[in-house]
Amino acid sequence: MVGVGFRSEMRDWNPADVQAGFYEVAPENWVRRDREPLYRLRDAGHAVCLHGVSLSLGGQAPINAPFVREVRALMDDLGSTFYSDHLAASGDAHQLYDLFPIPFTEAEVVRVSDRIRQVQDLLGCRIAVENTTYYTNIGELTEPEFLMRVAERADCGLLLDLNNITVNQKNHGTVGIDAFVAQIDLERVTYLHVAGHEFDPRFGLYIDTHSDRVERPTAQAAARLAREHGKPILLEWDNDFPSLATLNEELACLQAFTTT
Amino acid sequence: MSAGFYDYVRGRSDAVPPGYAEAGLKVYRHLVYLGASQMIETHFPALREALDDAQWRFLIEDFVRKSAWTSNYYADLVEEFKAYLARESA
Repeated sequence: MVGVGFRSEMRDWNPADVQAGFYEVAPENWVRRDREPLYRLRDAGHAVCLHGVSLSLGGQAPINAPFVREVRALMDDLGSTFYSDHLAASGDAHQLYDLFPIPFTEAEVVRVSDRIRQVQDLLGCRIAVENTTYYTNIGELTEPEFLMRVAERADCGLLLDLNNITVNQKNHGTVGIDAFVAQIDLERVTYLHVAGHEFDPRFGLYIDTHSDRVERPTAQAAARLAREHGKPILLEWDNDFPSLATLNEELACLQAFTTT
Repeated sequence: MSAGFYDYVRGRSDAVPPGYAEAGLKVYRHLVYLGASQMIETHFPALREALDDAQWRFLIEDFVRKSAWTSNYYADLVEEFKAYLARESA
């Protein structure tokens, strides 16, 4: 199955016109907003998955329990069974509204997995954590090692972002998708993210912009995981948002790869 | 995570904390600036209009440098900015 991240630009589209089987929304955008567009997706038979950006699993401030309870209420309202956020920090003891790297260390494995457990206890269900793009980081573990140790110790799911693996590979010379995935327990993977990215000459780094089509090797790797392991694929497209026709073309392309 | 990482990201210091790469730190500083600048510009278009690019950058950089934001909701940055303006003009 192939889905797409829901954007405000899609608010007036008829769900029947979009070639998406399921949707993903950031709970932060909907807790305080009129949820009518999401009810329409749900009523058209599409699952709505929650993918947060502000939980700050790697932050230093205590987990915001009232916020987690607001997310729980949103899940109940939408009938959502999936909630994920990033294996990242949103700041130090404060919010900076971005995603910052957690050092890949044993000490952080313990600290962060305890925080994930705390969120799961508050929610009464498992969450999934996403491997992120990082532009610089420290630590003695590799990213897949860190990811798996956290997931096992927290007993949480994984949202595997294949685009982030590729961006990190281009920026840091780390392993590519196949070698990364070989170190992952696929049983824990809820679904896959794919997206496009761009090179920014100002920094000499590839940036995870979600602003373009998916690179073919990334799309093909996602399709293989979909075919062989039944993993759904979610397309993230947040900047330079395309027309309905272009978006459908990309979704159809991802879908075609999964069946051939 | 060392305090030095976030000092760099907020623009409080240009010292690169041990083990980190400066190019990557610059990306984070840029992304935080962009996030604040876009949200504030959306809600204060007249203020943006009244300032030239250098003045605007100075204002947003100062807002970010002095930030201690706590809400999980990005849109609450608008209230933080109002509180910042009130503090700075007091």
